[in-house]
Amino acid sequence: MTILLLSMILALGVYALFSHDLLHSVIALSAVSMISALLFTILRAPDVAITEAAVGAGVSTVIFVWAIRHTRRRSKD
Amino acid sequence: MKRTLLWLKLIITLATIAVVALPIVVNNHSWPQISRDYLYTNALSDTGALNTVSAIYLGYRAMDTLGETLVLLVSITGTMGILVNLKREDSDQSISFSLEPEKRAKNAQRTYLLEVIASKLGPIVLLFGFYVMLYGHISPGGGFQGGTIIASAIVFLALGTQMETKLTNTTILARIEALAFLVLVLAAVSGVFFESGFFGNPIKSGNSLSPNFIILLNIVIGLKVGMSIAIMCIAMMGGRSDH
Repeated sequence: MTILLLSMILALGVYALFSHDLLHSVIALSAVSMISALLFTILRAPDVAITEAAVGAGVSTVIFVWAIRHTRRRSKD
Repeated sequence: MKRTLLWLKLIITLATIAVVALPIVVNNHSWPQISRDYLYTNALSDTGALNTVSAIYLGYRAMDTLGETLVLLVSITGTMGILVNLKREDSDQSISFSLEPEKRAKNAQRTYLLEVIASKLGPIVLLFGFYVMLYGHISPGGGFQGGTIIASAIVFLALGTQMETKLTNTTILARIEALAFLVLVLAAVSGVFFESGFFGNPIKSGNSLSPNFIILLNIVIGLKVGMSIAIMCIAMMGGRSDH
Protein backbone atom coordinates (compact mmCIF):
# COMPACT_ATOMS: atom_id res chain seq x y z
CA MET A 1 0.00 0.00 0.00
CA THR A 2 2.71 2.45 1.02
CA ILE A 3 4.84 1.48 -1.97
CA LEU A 4 1.87 2.08 -4.29
CA LEU A 5 1.16 5.52 -2.82
CA LEU A 6 4.83 6.51 -2.93
CA SER A 7 5.18 5.47 -6.57
CA MET A 8 2.03 7.45 -7.40
CA ILE A 9 3.57 10.51 -5.71
CA LEU A 10 6.74 10.00 -7.75
CA ALA A 11 4.85 9.64 -11.03
CA LEU A 12 2.69 12.70 -10.36
CA GLY A 13 5.74 14.75 -9.42
CA VAL A 14 7.53 13.80 -12.64
CA TYR A 15 4.39 14.64 -14.60
CA ALA A 16 4.16 18.04 -12.89
CA LEU A 17 7.77 18.73 -13.85
CA PHE A 18 7.52 17.73 -17.52
CA SER A 19 4.00 18.87 -18.38
CA HIS A 20 3.78 21.78 -20.83
CA ASP A 21 0.49 23.04 -19.41
CA LEU A 22 0.98 24.75 -16.07
CA LEU A 23 -2.61 24.17 -14.95
CA HIS A 24 -2.12 20.40 -15.35
CA SER A 25 1.01 20.68 -13.20
CA VAL A 26 -0.93 22.48 -10.47
CA ILE A 27 -3.62 19.80 -10.44
CA ALA A 28 -0.92 17.12 -10.25
CA LEU A 29 0.70 18.90 -7.29
CA SER A 30 -2.69 19.06 -5.57
CA ALA A 31 -3.08 15.31 -6.08
CA VAL A 32 0.41 14.81 -4.61
CA SER A 33 -0.74 16.71 -1.51
CA MET A 34 -3.82 14.54 -1.15
CA ILE A 35 -1.80 11.31 -1.44
CA SER A 36 0.72 12.63 1.09
CA ALA A 37 -2.15 13.36 3.48
CA LEU A 38 -3.27 9.73 3.05
CA LEU A 39 0.30 8.57 3.76
CA PHE A 40 0.48 10.69 6.92
CA THR A 41 -2.76 9.13 8.07
CA ILE A 42 -1.31 5.67 7.52
CA LEU A 43 1.79 6.68 9.49
CA ARG A 44 -0.49 7.77 12.38
CA ALA A 45 0.18 11.53 12.16
CA PRO A 46 -3.35 12.93 11.74
CA ASP A 47 -2.34 16.48 12.73
CA VAL A 48 0.10 16.67 9.86
CA ALA A 49 -2.45 15.07 7.53
CA ILE A 50 -5.06 17.74 8.28
CA THR A 51 -2.54 20.51 7.67
CA GLU A 52 -1.28 18.93 4.46
CA ALA A 53 -4.80 18.50 3.07
CA ALA A 54 -5.89 22.02 3.98
CA VAL A 55 -2.76 23.91 2.95
CA GLY A 56 -1.35 21.75 0.16
CA ALA A 57 -4.54 20.86 -1.65
CA GLY A 58 -6.59 23.94 -0.79
CA VAL A 59 -4.84 27.22 -0.24
CA SER A 60 -1.69 26.69 -2.29
CA THR A 61 -3.74 25.54 -5.31
CA VAL A 62 -5.76 28.78 -5.13
CA ILE A 63 -2.55 30.81 -5.01
CA PHE A 64 -0.99 28.87 -7.92
CA VAL A 65 -4.09 29.25 -10.09
CA TRP A 66 -4.16 32.98 -9.34
CA ALA A 67 -0.51 33.27 -10.36
CA ILE A 68 -1.12 31.33 -13.60
CA ARG A 69 -4.06 33.55 -14.50
CA HIS A 70 -1.79 36.58 -14.38
CA THR A 71 0.94 35.01 -16.54
CA ARG A 72 1.08 32.71 -19.55
CA ARG A 73 -0.37 29.27 -19.13
CA ARG A 74 1.36 27.19 -21.80
CA SER A 75 5.01 26.98 -22.72
CA LYS A 76 6.13 27.86 -26.25
CA ASP A 77 7.10 24.46 -27.60
CA MET B 1 25.69 15.20 -27.66
CA LYS B 2 22.25 15.85 -26.33
CA ARG B 3 21.80 12.22 -25.35
CA THR B 4 25.05 12.16 -23.36
CA LEU B 5 23.92 15.33 -21.56
CA LEU B 6 20.66 13.63 -20.61
CA TRP B 7 22.49 10.56 -19.31
CA LEU B 8 24.86 12.81 -17.35
CA LYS B 9 21.93 14.61 -15.76
CA LEU B 10 20.28 11.30 -14.87
CA ILE B 11 23.47 9.93 -13.31
CA ILE B 12 24.02 13.09 -11.27
CA THR B 13 20.41 13.00 -10.03
CA LEU B 14 20.64 9.35 -9.00
CA ALA B 15 23.98 9.97 -7.27
CA THR B 16 22.47 12.86 -5.29
CA ILE B 17 19.51 10.74 -4.24
CA ALA B 18 21.88 7.93 -3.24
CA VAL B 19 24.01 10.27 -1.10
CA VAL B 20 20.92 11.69 0.62
CA ALA B 21 19.33 8.28 1.23
CA LEU B 22 22.55 6.49 2.23
CA PRO B 23 22.47 7.29 5.99
CA ILE B 24 18.90 5.98 6.24
CA VAL B 25 19.74 2.71 4.48
CA VAL B 26 23.03 1.85 6.19
CA ASN B 27 21.94 3.20 9.57
CA ASN B 28 22.16 0.51 12.22
CA HIS B 29 21.09 2.42 15.31
CA SER B 30 17.60 2.37 16.67
CA TRP B 31 15.69 5.60 16.97
CA PRO B 32 16.27 7.54 20.20
CA GLN B 33 13.38 7.02 22.58
CA ILE B 34 14.16 9.16 25.62
CA SER B 35 12.16 12.23 24.61
CA ARG B 36 9.24 10.07 23.47
CA ASP B 37 9.09 8.30 26.81
CA TYR B 38 9.40 11.58 28.70
CA LEU B 39 6.53 13.12 26.73
CA TYR B 40 4.43 9.99 27.16
CA THR B 41 4.62 10.18 30.93
CA ASN B 42 4.85 13.92 31.62
CA ALA B 43 3.09 15.84 28.84
CA LEU B 44 -0.39 15.75 30.37
CA SER B 45 0.71 16.86 33.81
CA ASP B 46 3.13 19.50 32.50
CA THR B 47 0.79 21.33 30.14
CA GLY B 48 -2.73 20.00 30.65
CA ALA B 49 -3.25 18.95 27.03
CA LEU B 50 -4.18 15.39 26.17
CA ASN B 51 -2.97 15.71 22.59
CA THR B 52 0.82 15.53 22.81
CA VAL B 53 1.37 17.59 19.66
CA SER B 54 -0.66 20.43 21.17
CA ALA B 55 1.25 19.95 24.42
CA ILE B 56 4.51 20.50 22.56
CA TYR B 57 3.66 23.48 20.41
CA LEU B 58 1.49 25.37 22.89
CA GLY B 59 3.01 24.17 26.15
CA TYR B 60 6.72 23.46 25.88
CA ARG B 61 7.39 25.44 22.70
CA ALA B 62 4.80 28.24 22.78
CA MET B 63 7.55 30.76 22.04
CA ASP B 64 8.11 29.13 18.62
CA THR B 65 4.39 29.33 17.90
CA LEU B 66 4.48 33.09 18.52
CA GLY B 67 7.37 33.27 16.04
CA GLU B 68 5.40 31.29 13.45
CA THR B 69 2.41 33.61 13.71
CA LEU B 70 4.77 36.58 13.30
CA VAL B 71 6.22 34.98 10.13
CA LEU B 72 2.70 34.50 8.76
CA LEU B 73 1.81 38.12 9.61
CA VAL B 74 4.88 39.45 7.78
CA SER B 75 4.29 37.31 4.69
CA ILE B 76 0.60 38.31 4.47
CA THR B 77 1.59 41.96 4.82
CA GLY B 78 4.08 41.63 1.97
CA THR B 79 1.56 39.85 -0.26
CA MET B 80 -1.08 42.49 0.37
CA GLY B 81 1.44 45.22 -0.43
CA ILE B 82 2.10 43.62 -3.84
CA LEU B 83 -1.60 42.96 -4.50
CA VAL B 84 -2.76 46.51 -3.80
CA ASN B 85 -0.38 47.88 -6.43
CA LEU B 86 -1.21 45.14 -8.91
CA LYS B 87 -4.96 45.48 -8.81
CA ARG B 88 -5.14 48.86 -10.48
CA GLU B 89 -3.63 47.53 -13.73
CA ASP B 90 -5.97 44.55 -13.87
CA SER B 91 -8.87 45.94 -15.89
CA ASP B 92 -10.02 42.78 -17.66
CA GLN B 93 -13.15 42.25 -15.59
CA SER B 94 -14.75 39.63 -17.81
CA ILE B 95 -12.39 36.86 -16.70
CA SER B 96 -11.95 38.01 -13.12
CA PHE B 97 -13.69 36.51 -10.10
CA SER B 98 -15.06 39.89 -9.20
CA LEU B 99 -16.93 39.62 -5.97
CA GLU B 100 -19.13 42.70 -6.15
CA PRO B 101 -22.77 41.55 -6.19
CA GLU B 102 -23.83 43.70 -9.13
CA LYS B 103 -21.17 42.17 -11.37
CA ARG B 104 -21.84 38.57 -10.45
CA ALA B 105 -24.64 37.82 -12.85
CA LYS B 106 -22.73 38.56 -16.03
CA ASN B 107 -19.35 37.12 -15.10
CA ALA B 108 -18.11 34.49 -17.52
CA GLN B 109 -16.45 32.24 -14.95
CA ARG B 110 -19.32 32.09 -12.48
CA THR B 111 -21.40 29.02 -13.16
CA TYR B 112 -24.34 27.52 -11.30
CA LEU B 113 -22.16 24.56 -10.40
CA LEU B 114 -19.75 26.81 -8.50
CA GLU B 115 -22.52 28.59 -6.64
CA VAL B 116 -24.42 25.45 -5.67
CA ILE B 117 -21.40 23.49 -4.44
CA ALA B 118 -19.45 26.32 -2.80
CA SER B 119 -22.36 27.95 -1.01
CA LYS B 120 -23.73 24.67 0.34
CA LEU B 121 -20.33 23.31 1.35
CA GLY B 122 -19.16 26.54 3.01
CA PRO B 123 -21.09 26.40 6.31
CA ILE B 124 -20.25 22.71 6.83
CA VAL B 125 -16.55 23.34 6.30
CA LEU B 126 -16.75 26.34 8.63
CA LEU B 127 -18.29 24.20 11.38
CA PHE B 128 -15.62 21.52 10.89
CA GLY B 129 -12.90 24.19 11.10
CA PHE B 130 -14.24 25.47 14.41
CA TYR B 131 -14.45 21.87 15.69
CA VAL B 132 -10.82 21.17 14.76
CA MET B 133 -9.81 24.48 16.37
CA LEU B 134 -11.73 24.11 19.64
CA TYR B 135 -10.90 20.45 20.28
CA GLY B 136 -7.20 20.78 19.46
CA HIS B 137 -6.16 19.86 23.00
CA ILE B 138 -7.94 16.48 22.88
CA SER B 139 -8.11 15.29 19.27
CA PRO B 140 -5.79 15.83 16.30
CA GLY B 141 -5.85 19.40 15.11
CA GLY B 142 -5.26 22.76 16.67
CA GLY B 143 -5.02 26.43 15.88
CA PHE B 144 -3.15 26.35 12.59
CA GLN B 145 -5.08 23.45 11.11
CA GLY B 146 -8.46 24.78 12.15
CA GLY B 147 -7.49 28.24 10.95
CA THR B 148 -6.68 27.08 7.45
CA ILE B 149 -9.93 25.10 7.27
CA ILE B 150 -11.85 28.22 8.39
CA ALA B 151 -10.03 30.22 5.71
CA SER B 152 -11.07 27.79 2.97
CA ALA B 153 -14.66 27.92 4.28
CA ILE B 154 -14.64 31.73 4.04
CA VAL B 155 -13.29 31.47 0.48
CA PHE B 156 -16.14 29.06 -0.35
CA LEU B 157 -18.66 31.50 1.07
CA ALA B 158 -17.12 34.44 -0.78
CA LEU B 159 -17.26 32.53 -4.07
CA GLY B 160 -20.63 30.93 -3.67
CA THR B 161 -23.12 33.21 -1.99
CA GLN B 162 -24.95 35.88 -3.91
CA MET B 163 -25.32 38.35 -1.10
CA GLU B 164 -22.68 40.28 0.75
CA THR B 165 -22.07 39.05 4.28
CA LYS B 166 -19.97 40.38 7.10
CA LEU B 167 -17.87 37.21 6.94
CA THR B 168 -16.47 38.12 3.51
CA ASN B 169 -15.81 41.77 4.26
CA THR B 170 -12.05 42.24 4.42
CA THR B 171 -12.24 45.22 6.79
CA ILE B 172 -14.03 43.22 9.47
CA LEU B 173 -11.74 40.22 8.91
CA ALA B 174 -8.69 42.46 9.37
CA ARG B 175 -10.11 43.80 12.64
CA ILE B 176 -10.72 40.27 13.96
CA GLU B 177 -7.15 39.33 13.00
CA ALA B 178 -5.64 42.33 14.80
CA LEU B 179 -7.73 41.66 17.91
CA ALA B 180 -6.69 37.99 17.93
CA PHE B 181 -3.02 38.91 17.72
CA LEU B 182 -3.43 41.40 20.58
CA VAL B 183 -5.06 38.73 22.75
CA LEU B 184 -2.26 36.30 21.85
CA VAL B 185 0.43 38.72 23.01
CA LEU B 186 -1.54 39.54 26.17
CA ALA B 187 -1.93 35.82 26.94
CA ALA B 188 1.81 35.39 26.37
CA VAL B 189 2.78 38.00 28.95
CA SER B 190 0.03 37.08 31.39
CA GLY B 191 2.05 34.18 32.74
CA VAL B 192 4.70 36.60 33.98
CA PHE B 193 2.32 38.10 36.56
CA PHE B 194 1.25 34.69 37.87
CA GLU B 195 4.79 33.45 38.56
CA SER B 196 4.89 30.93 35.72
CA GLY B 197 7.12 32.76 33.24
CA PHE B 198 6.66 33.94 29.66
CA PHE B 199 3.95 31.81 28.00
CA GLY B 200 3.50 29.94 31.25
CA ASN B 201 0.10 28.55 32.05
CA PRO B 202 -1.50 30.99 34.54
CA ILE B 203 -4.72 29.03 35.06
CA LYS B 204 -4.56 26.35 37.72
CA SER B 205 -7.36 24.06 38.75
CA GLY B 206 -6.48 22.52 42.06
CA ASN B 207 -3.11 20.84 41.83
CA SER B 208 -2.86 20.18 38.11
CA LEU B 209 -2.77 22.60 35.20
CA SER B 210 -5.99 23.28 33.40
CA PRO B 211 -6.25 22.93 29.62
CA ASN B 212 -8.23 26.19 29.38
CA PHE B 213 -5.07 28.14 28.55
CA ILE B 214 -4.33 25.78 25.65
CA ILE B 215 -7.92 26.19 24.43
CA LEU B 216 -7.59 29.99 24.57
CA LEU B 217 -4.32 29.92 22.63
CA ASN B 218 -5.84 27.54 20.05
CA ILE B 219 -8.85 29.84 19.50
CA VAL B 220 -6.70 32.96 19.17
CA ILE B 221 -4.17 31.38 16.82
CA GLY B 222 -6.91 29.78 14.75
CA LEU B 223 -8.79 33.05 14.30
CA LYS B 224 -5.60 34.89 13.40
CA VAL B 225 -4.39 32.33 10.84
CA GLY B 226 -7.83 31.84 9.30
CA MET B 227 -8.62 35.52 8.93
CA SER B 228 -5.24 36.43 7.45
CA ILE B 229 -5.33 33.64 4.84
CA ALA B 230 -8.95 34.47 4.01
CA ILE B 231 -8.08 38.16 3.51
CA MET B 232 -5.24 37.20 1.17
CA CYS B 233 -7.36 34.82 -0.92
CA ILE B 234 -10.28 37.27 -1.19
CA ALA B 235 -7.90 40.03 -2.26
CA MET B 236 -6.34 37.71 -4.86
CA MET B 237 -9.74 36.89 -6.36
CA GLY B 238 -10.42 40.57 -6.87
CA GLY B 239 -12.47 41.29 -3.81
CA ARG B 240 -13.35 44.60 -2.24
CA SER B 241 -10.57 46.88 -1.10
CA ASP B 242 -12.51 49.63 0.60
CA HIS B 243 -9.94 50.42 3.26
